[in-house]
Amino acid sequence: MAEVDLSDAEKIFIKHGVQDNCREDGRGCEDYRHIELETGLLSNTTGSARVRLANTDILAGVKAELGTPSPDKPNKGRLEFFVDCSANATPVFEGRGGEELAAEIGNILTRTYDCPSCFDLEALCIIPEEQCWILYVDVLLLECGGNLFDVASIAVKAALYNTKIPKVTVSRDEGLVELEISDDPYDVQRVEVQSAPCIVTVCKIGHSHVVDASLKEEACCLARLTMGVTERRTVTGVRKEGSGSLDPASLEDMMQTGKRVGELLNKSLMDSLLEEERQGSKKKPVGFLK
Amino acid sequence: MLTSKTFIKKTKTGKILKIVREHYLRDDITCGVGSCRECDGPPTLEAASTSPSEMCQGEHLLCPDTNVILHQIDVIEDHRIRNVIILQTVLEEVRHRSIPTYKRLRDILCNPDKHFYSFCNEFNKHTYVEREAGESSNDRNDRAIREAVKWYNKHLQTSRQIQTLLLTNDADNRKKALDQGIQSYTIHQYVRSLKDGKDLVDRLSLSGSKVFSGDKVQYPEHLPLSAIQKGLKTGKYLQGKFMASRENYTEANVSVADQEKMIFIQGLQNLNRAVQDDIVAIEMLKEEDWTCPSSVILVHTEEKDDTDEEEEKENLEKKRRKVPKELRQPTGKVVGIIKRNWRQYCGMLQPSIIKQATRHLVVTADKRIPKIRIETRQAADLMGQRIVVAIDNWPRTSRYPQGHFVRKLGNVGDKETENEVLLLEHDIPHAGFSEAVLNCLPTLPWEITKEDMECREDFRDLDICSVDPPGCTDIDDALHCRDLPNGNLEVGVHIADVSHFIRPGTAIDKEAERRGTTVYLTDKRIDMVPELLSSNLCSLRSNVERFAFSVIWEITNDAEIVKARYAKSVIKSKAALTYAEAQMRIDDPSMTDAVTKSLRNLNRLAKILKKKRMEKGALTLASNEVRFHIDSETHDPIDVETKQIRETNSMVEEFMLLANVSTAQKTLQEFPDCSCLRRHPCPPPSNFDPLIKAAQSKGFRIDVSSGKALADSLERAVLPDDPYFNVMLRIMTTRCMAQAVYFCSGMLPPSEYIHYGLAAEIYTHFTSPIRRYSDIIVHRLLAVCIGADASYPELTDKYKTQAVCNNLNYRHKMAQYAGRASVNLHTHIFFKNRHVDNEGYVLFVRKNALQVLIPKYGLEATLYLDSKTVTFEYDEQEHTQTCGDKVFRVFDRVIVQLTIDQSNLQHLKLQTKLVEPKIEGFSVPPSTPSDTSDEPPLKKKKKT
Repeated sequence: MAEVDLSDAEKIFIKHGVQDNCREDGRGCEDYRHIELETGLLSNTTGSARVRLANTDILAGVKAELGTPSPDKPNKGRLEFFVDCSANATPVFEGRGGEELAAEIGNILTRTYDCPSCFDLEALCIIPEEQCWILYVDVLLLECGGNLFDVASIAVKAALYNTKIPKVTVSRDEGLVELEISDDPYDVQRVEVQSAPCIVTVCKIGHSHVVDASLKEEACCLARLTMGVTERRTVTGVRKEGSGSLDPASLEDMMQTGKRVGELLNKSLMDSLLEEERQGSKKKPVGFLK
Repeated sequence: MLTSKTFIKKTKTGKILKIVREHYLRDDITCGVGSCRECDGPPTLEAASTSPSEMCQGEHLLCPDTNVILHQIDVIEDHRIRNVIILQTVLEEVRHRSIPTYKRLRDILCNPDKHFYSFCNEFNKHTYVEREAGESSNDRNDRAIREAVKWYNKHLQTSRQIQTLLLTNDADNRKKALDQGIQSYTIHQYVRSLKDGKDLVDRLSLSGSKVFSGDKVQYPEHLPLSAIQKGLKTGKYLQGKFMASRENYTEANVSVADQEKMIFIQGLQNLNRAVQDDIVAIEMLKEEDWTCPSSVILVHTEEKDDTDEEEEKENLEKKRRKVPKELRQPTGKVVGIIKRNWRQYCGMLQPSIIKQATRHLVVTADKRIPKIRIETRQAADLMGQRIVVAIDNWPRTSRYPQGHFVRKLGNVGDKETENEVLLLEHDIPHAGFSEAVLNCLPTLPWEITKEDMECREDFRDLDICSVDPPGCTDIDDALHCRDLPNGNLEVGVHIADVSHFIRPGTAIDKEAERRGTTVYLTDKRIDMVPELLSSNLCSLRSNVERFAFSVIWEITNDAEIVKARYAKSVIKSKAALTYAEAQMRIDDPSMTDAVTKSLRNLNRLAKILKKKRMEKGALTLASNEVRFHIDSETHDPIDVETKQIRETNSMVEEFMLLANVSTAQKTLQEFPDCSCLRRHPCPPPSNFDPLIKAAQSKGFRIDVSSGKALADSLERAVLPDDPYFNVMLRIMTTRCMAQAVYFCSGMLPPSEYIHYGLAAEIYTHFTSPIRRYSDIIVHRLLAVCIGADASYPELTDKYKTQAVCNNLNYRHKMAQYAGRASVNLHTHIFFKNRHVDNEGYVLFVRKNALQVLIPKYGLEATLYLDSKTVTFEYDEQEHTQTCGDKVFRVFDRVIVQLTIDQSNLQHLKLQTKLVEPKIEGFSVPPSTPSDTSDEPPLKKKKKT
């Protein structure tokens, strides 16, 4: 995990600020920093998105491949996450340094998406027990500026929104199943992400808690709650991290904050995605060359 | 500017891939118009020279769409169609849909007189269009074409007023074009409007425009390709190559890959519009419906037309009469066409009853091709002419395929025309050599330089001579033999060093590779390499210094090879002999010169070699080759003789075999993966059935278990009172054999390398590089083996070598067919004014005919037994025909009279009538000597 070293005085300064609902960069406790989002950057993926929040930069790509459904869920497709922490982000990630963090992010994404009401895996099934789409979601960490979980989840949701799976028609002939793909590149199947979750990380700093902690704030935080929240405030997964403990009252408080913020985050994300879609192909891609 | 093209592809393993290709757009692609001030590209297009049209008065350019090119390439090739923009979109689509058309289009693009310009509209910033949502790829391409035409019109407006016309037969496309302000016509409208092109109208293909006859539906519908593919996967349908029967146009066979036996198809409904060489999908019939060839010979004739009723009757009859079980063959029906393999066909107009009619039937020269309907206004001109036509389509409602006229060849019966037909029908490249090829030839006077001498062995002092048939100018082999001090003999085979002149990758090499072989017609030779090489610089003529590739053996007096070596050399042949001359020298004891001595030695060794080969089980096969004596003035054949086989023939052959086997071993040793070899597969035992049956009727047992056994049993099967019986058996054996083929050693397991006929484990062709391309490859390989020449990448690429071999096999087969057809042609001319009685032997007994072999002319004639006065009874089991007390069996001797039936000009038919044994009401009296008086006096014999 990327960390910064802070002196005690600095930590106290941040703690006191948070107590007064005024953070080091002037935000309130439930405010996010400015987020930049662009989808469809990688033409050779089925769907992709890049999200930048302060210095955190994450690229997510979705690749759809045909496969067989897992035997215990014969009529569902699959969603598989893979996170790669580039050594470009911080030298700590070099070699196998990023593996632990990557696994952590991957696990939490898998957990939050593993909820029937938030993501419709049945739509990915083509022929029960035989053929389904497997969506491989690759998350690439390009730069670390704190709050990686939230940004990764935003990038994943945006990339899934951008995903256009080729339409497949099934024809059966004397027991032989034939899959045909349409030769029209515009004839595609979209993935429904309306109720997909975003991750909100609530950090306990002193007696208060904040969302979207910066690196410095993360250094002051002893316990945090990572939760998947959908647009309808459903919590799809919660995880407590950090060495500190949480009493039930503040846990309840933090959950409420997470739900409230999560709802807002999901809504504004969908608004931005729809806005981008409306601009259509006339929009010039921005990409990384800014 | 960069965009990307995205498409989704399904791989064979079922994976679905999204493929993205980068696509760069430019703004500096020139328009190709000479008078354009903005662009400085090559001035290919000259609008001023476009053929004047009534529709578009001013200067104009043409821009056809894909379908116009695909269907009307015959018209596009005409010299009156000039100044055409071929868009990249069109070019790519054509390549995708028809490779032959694409090649022809490329040829036109290369011809500067045609003023065809290929415009890269897909890479031009102004004309590139992206596929839109809901648009099919065809629609996108149409839009791209319209966009390009629009750009041309706008671009050329600024400098000069030049119109660009869009040619398309798609009404919808035309309408859209007109909405955008683009002038657009159908190709038919345009060609009709040409002021000097009235006869071009005939050449327009009819596809898609209209159906001639409003006949009732005649054929079942073809299945769509997707349904066929599904069926092929499940095994419901089979894929195979359609091969129509030459003898009966309502029958055909389909050769299905990896099945030994062909699938039989009978009846026009079941044939379902498949044409010779098409790749078809067939469905097997139920086993109780299986039939067998009717053994009735049924040929399209000019007199009969629309003989539906007749056939229907025939079909009904067949249904009633079930074929006995043991005769049934796997039978199927055509359900769809996977790929048409139509080419252009030679034929003649069938005389029409109605004068001035514009719709005609063309009777094709190839009996396996049905008649073709065409529309022409020049019927009167074309009558009695050989013409070339192309098939456009074959609608369900039309009994015959529809096509269009391409060009005329000349009067029927003309030697030149007939030869042309022969060459065209056998797909033999016979145009003159191109400028590029001729530029590869060495300049004359050609001399051997010092450098040449340094890297070659000097054999100029050896007593080398060549032995060939009379009149041979492309001498590619020569021999020598001399005593060695140790008592052994040194034998050398010297082969023309063609690979010295034909360097890999040059134009001349590519042309030779394409031609594959020299084709010998009776009165003409179509060379594989230009004459300067074939008859002069490579030909090992006497008393001139020539390059050779020599194989030198040290051989004991018992013809055991001690060692072999190979060398590039320079030789000077002492004598170019004919077989007869060489034979005379050997036989004449008074001749004691060095050449004669070495010939005697060679002859002696050859006899031992041959005996050894026979002991190993090599087959002596017979074929009936003939030579014509041709009149020097009229070029008509005046006499025929079967080829004489002398000792010297076999002597040369023996040493060539030895050289071939030696080189095969040497190259394979060095290049186990990419040697070019020749194999003759073991024929399947079922092939021999007719031979075994025929021999049985005379009380002989033919053992076909191995080549050796076969050779021995053939040796034993001799009737003392009928010397020709054994020859006939050997002729029949030849017909049972599989074809020998070239192949690349890396593509097959070594067990399949064998040459069955020669009883050799390994064989190749090395000794005739002037007339066979395979030998050139072998020369190159051998040269690399001995370090005399450098290798090049393609030489050691086994896939490339196999591809070359496949082409060689095809060319070789076609050359053989053409040669036979040429002999037939001359036979017909020979018998034109003659009535001759000849001795013949029954070779096969058919249901309505006897195949009779006439040894004197090496000719096989069909004696039809369809007389109205007498009846013949056919015994299917015993293969006999009985009439009264006369029984005809295989090998029976008969006397027949040969005449030419001139009622059908296209296929002059040799008519055979029975003279002996006499059958009242059927046989004809022997011709009186006065009938044969026009046989030429033998003194005037001319040799060719």
